[in-house]
Amino acid sequence: MAEMKLLLEHSNDPEYATLKGYLAKGGYTGLGKALKMERQAVIDSVKASGLRGRGGAGFPAWIKWNGIEKEITKPHYMICNADEGEPGTFKDKELMENTPFLVIEGMTIGGYATQSKVGYIYIRGEFVDACRAMRKAIDEAYANGYLGKNILGSGVDFDLYIHTGAGSYECGEESALMSSLMGERGMPRLKFPHAPLPTVAGLWDCPTIINNVETYSCVPFILDRGGEWYATLGASTKNSRGTKIFSVSGHVNKPGNYEVEFGTTLMELLDLAGGMKGGMLKACVPGGSSVPIINAADCERAIIGYEEMAEVKSMVGSGGCMFLNEHTCIVSFIWRTAQFYANESCGKCTPCREGTKWMFQILDRIVRGKGQPGDAELLVDITKQIDGRSFCGLGDAAAWPVAGAIRVFPEEFEYFIKNGRSMVDSAESRAMAPKWAQPAYS
Amino acid sequence: MAVDEGHRTVSVTINGIEIEVPQGELIVESVKRLGLEIPVFCYHPRMKPVGMCRMCLVEIGFKQPDGSVRMMPKPQAGCTLPASEGMVVLTDSESVHRDRKGVLEFLLVNHPLDCPVCDRGGECPLQNNTLAYGPSTSRFIDLKRHLPKAYPLSQYVMLDLERCIQCGRCVRFTEEISGEHELAFRFRGASMQPSTFQLLDFESKFSGNVIEICPVGALTSAQYRFRARPWDLQTTPAVCTACSNGCNVWFDHRAGRFVRINGRINEGVNEEWTCDKGKFGHDYYNSTDRLRTPLVRKGDQFVEATWAEAYEEIVKGLESAGKDVAGLCGTRIANEGLFLFNRLFKQVLGSRSVDHRWTRTLGTSRVQTPIAGIEGKKGVLVFGSNPAEDLPIVFLRLRKAATRNGTQVTVVTPDVTEADAFATVASRIGQGDVLKVAQEIVDGQSELARKVADCLKEDGAIVTSDRVRNLPGGGEALRLLEDLAARCGAEFNCYPTGPNAMGAELLGVLPGDGGLDTWGILQGCCSGTIKALWLLDCDPTTVEGGDQALESAEFLVYQGVTRSEATAFANVVLPMAAPAEQDGTWTNCERRLQRMTQAIAAPGDSKPAWRIFSEVILRLQPSTPFFNPREIMKAIADADPRFLPGASDLPEEGAILSATTQAAMAGDGA
Ligand SMILES: Cc1cc2nc3c(=O)[nH]c(=O)nc-3n(C[C@H](O)[C@H](O)[C@H](O)COP(=O)(O)O)c2cc1C
Ligand code: SF4
Ligand code: SF4
Ligand code: FES
Repeated sequence: MAEMKLLLEHSNDPEYATLKGYLAKGGYTGLGKALKMERQAVIDSVKASGLRGRGGAGFPAWIKWNGIEKEITKPHYMICNADEGEPGTFKDKELMENTPFLVIEGMTIGGYATQSKVGYIYIRGEFVDACRAMRKAIDEAYANGYLGKNILGSGVDFDLYIHTGAGSYECGEESALMSSLMGERGMPRLKFPHAPLPTVAGLWDCPTIINNVETYSCVPFILDRGGEWYATLGASTKNSRGTKIFSVSGHVNKPGNYEVEFGTTLMELLDLAGGMKGGMLKACVPGGSSVPIINAADCERAIIGYEEMAEVKSMVGSGGCMFLNEHTCIVSFIWRTAQFYANESCGKCTPCREGTKWMFQILDRIVRGKGQPGDAELLVDITKQIDGRSFCGLGDAAAWPVAGAIRVFPEEFEYFIKNGRSMVDSAESRAMAPKWAQPAYS
Repeated sequence: MAVDEGHRTVSVTINGIEIEVPQGELIVESVKRLGLEIPVFCYHPRMKPVGMCRMCLVEIGFKQPDGSVRMMPKPQAGCTLPASEGMVVLTDSESVHRDRKGVLEFLLVNHPLDCPVCDRGGECPLQNNTLAYGPSTSRFIDLKRHLPKAYPLSQYVMLDLERCIQCGRCVRFTEEISGEHELAFRFRGASMQPSTFQLLDFESKFSGNVIEICPVGALTSAQYRFRARPWDLQTTPAVCTACSNGCNVWFDHRAGRFVRINGRINEGVNEEWTCDKGKFGHDYYNSTDRLRTPLVRKGDQFVEATWAEAYEEIVKGLESAGKDVAGLCGTRIANEGLFLFNRLFKQVLGSRSVDHRWTRTLGTSRVQTPIAGIEGKKGVLVFGSNPAEDLPIVFLRLRKAATRNGTQVTVVTPDVTEADAFATVASRIGQGDVLKVAQEIVDGQSELARKVADCLKEDGAIVTSDRVRNLPGGGEALRLLEDLAARCGAEFNCYPTGPNAMGAELLGVLPGDGGLDTWGILQGCCSGTIKALWLLDCDPTTVEGGDQALESAEFLVYQGVTRSEATAFANVVLPMAAPAEQDGTWTNCERRLQRMTQAIAAPGDSKPAWRIFSEVILRLQPSTPFFNPREIMKAIADADPRFLPGASDLPEEGAILSATTQAAMAGDGA
């Protein structure tokens, strides 16, 4: 299986980011069909498609949509999670910049299906271009009756607002995003069973849907060509349907976004990205910095699919796929990852707040040549004390990469701790590591 | 805080024992029914649960239809989890203990462990939980976080950022309870710290509470810092005598000296809070201004005297004044002292000129809504007085009513009040316009009047205080509003603000028929119709014409806890015990009779008011003296059946006295 461009088919065509160009390529036929269907039929279509959330967790989209009250007792809201903060992931950025109408159309369809009259796109603050492109597309959609009151004469209203973040990874976590959207500090809120689901009481305690940019972008195709058709994509996997965009980076010849059908192998993805650069494949972080690292042998057998990735003890995640060559020092790689999570912990809960910092302190000591016997075991213990104990997923996301790296490459940690220097401390590895990512060797 | 979802109960199994609990009750609360404990830090029963600290993690499962139990894969925070049917809770499993150790290890990683010099040491939840559940050794060998250790948030509250465990209790207190929103977290991750906005002063009327709810020694009292070790303190349950709300407090003392005030639970009064006036306003106990011995004027000098000499002087002075004597008192005096003060003048000396009131126009209070009752009101009109200032605990209830129960609050006051924040309508009274505005409300024509009428139309109450009488036309305005309340079926409350002002009023420390009131007495001193004046813990020099009156009085007795401006004018000065230095009962603004027992000895020769009056009366009129305050309370109850609850053992939470003698005689408790 090779590249399968659905969302990204026209992403190189600047016209596609204009309403005219979008319409010319069949844009808005999905919405047109949806508006002629019963609301429930739209949801059923999404159900038939087997679409799962592309933000990381892979939760079936239709279950959220179907969970919204059918009788309106309060305003309903649609949120598009465009915070894309996961290191290694840059697909939402491309979708917003190059195919903004897919996002708008997808959200409008969702708004119709769930009787939401208002949608918010929460865009990562640093994404200035994406924000501009979305702004422009929204203005155009409003001007031509694709947003606002009485869309396409159907009597359906849908308003769409952009809200930009202020640079916090945690604000991509759905409940923290809602806090931020409501003007509060970006900290996560209680979740089911501690509090009602967001589909019951989300934004301002009203029924709320939150999906990822890519998730919404799939919807126009599902409505246009039918859920059943969509479900034929990826049919070789256990339960992953459609296509998935992977942001491939690392030591590859052609880094970039690649859209593949579920069921594609990881090696095929690597081939798409032009194969390895500067050395043999050593490891891969397939789904964004939070997911556990896998070694070359597992890369060979990894199949892209939510359940299939679990076979190699990793995840599809958000699709931030980083290939690492043989000159990569795994300890230093994880040091940088741990630094990210320690910086991004919101501070709400003890395990993540204290644990992420402590893990970074230990790794920092190790990469400075001051590792102590027992540090690796201590790190593993700390990950166990965080994983599943933190308030939100950030704690887990911080623990998995560390635990995964020590599980897959124990010898590298042992070597670094024992000898005070990296096992792959070669000229190539030093030359390769960007300055900012290099620990200050003492 | 139980989440009330009606009265349905569900059955949950806690450590193998099945019990019924209200649906939606938080699991931390449910386990208490079995005498079990889930350790907590961030959870506070009076605030919304947040699940931040993760100390309360427990294992949770659900009974399946086939009888098996499906455990949730991750431990759950017991402080945020509502009980539901078939829930299975494990609080004592190996993995729960492992999780607790883990959380405590994390919390201690960056904790300075300066327990030996920490005010909280010995009464610290972090110490206690570590002792019970924590690891015995630390695996942390890296650098601890270093931050400012003595940051003055305000004149009362010091912040030690190293000790903070980021539980958010202080932040949530200012958001949820006091509503001042003074504190918030800044920075994130391990750098997160509670802070005021841009480190400005922590301006609050309730800041002291955060010191008590902080589960570590991060927030300490500037007054108490480093003054004692908690295990060295003795504590006595007491009632705060800083204002009429009568908060229940712990009066902590060491080696006979007052050290600090902490809130004590009384659900009917202060729940567990105090205001800053109360928490930090008791340092006069240790003041160098305390009077310690009786003083008698010799020429223009005071000389120390024995009680006998002082009494002799007083008897002479009073007898030569005949019936032209008068008494003025403050309100920080227990019922027993006030009762005998009144008796001395009205029965022994035959004068009718006694008063305890100091407002510009004088009137009596009327109180129909107990403090806790405010929570149940549908609408409340706050008129003329700022409750946060004058009635702090009434204010907290009002805020709770508005923010939790949706009580509609209308504020009509001269100045901006803290209540504006949750009021549906906030309207200002222009200078000198109190009566005009009251009239406008009563007339019912204006926009404001319609809003007030709407607010009071069903189960409403008016909340105001005696301070309104200080405003020109205030007394008349209160009368108009009282009539209005009666007409629309609302309750009317003009709460007194002086600590035992309600007691003074019920005991009739008011001018008798033909007697002079406060202003009459002061004038009488000037004009010579009053020859001898007794000041019981009050200082008329703070009011208009007071200096002149004191100068003119032929004979002046000053009886007080501390020296004041008025002391200088006295012929005899009597040192009086402070409230916690004696047994006695106090009546708060809702007529709740509360008992205080002596916590510490009074300094020097000072005596409780009741004993002073008992001894003076004995010298003027041979009779059996009262030997203790309980006897006096019996006599009070004999004279006034409203006080009957005081004659026997008062319940711990006190007893609300009837408003009228008739109601009390009919046995109606309210
Ligand atoms: C720490 C953290 C950060 C997250 N960041 C993002 C993000 O940047 N974008 C995103 O779409 N989902 C993010 N998520 C996942 C969201 O919480 C949520 O699951 C998602 O928006 C749901 O959309 P989906 O069902 O379409 O995937 C994050 C989750 C966590 C725990
Ligand atoms: S795991 Fe805890 S500290 Fe970390 S981001 Fe989530 S709530 Fe904040
Ligand atoms: S100062 Fe105290 S109450 Fe406030 S967050 Fe820190 S530990 Fe909690
Ligand atoms: S007490 Fe439950 S998380 Fe803090």
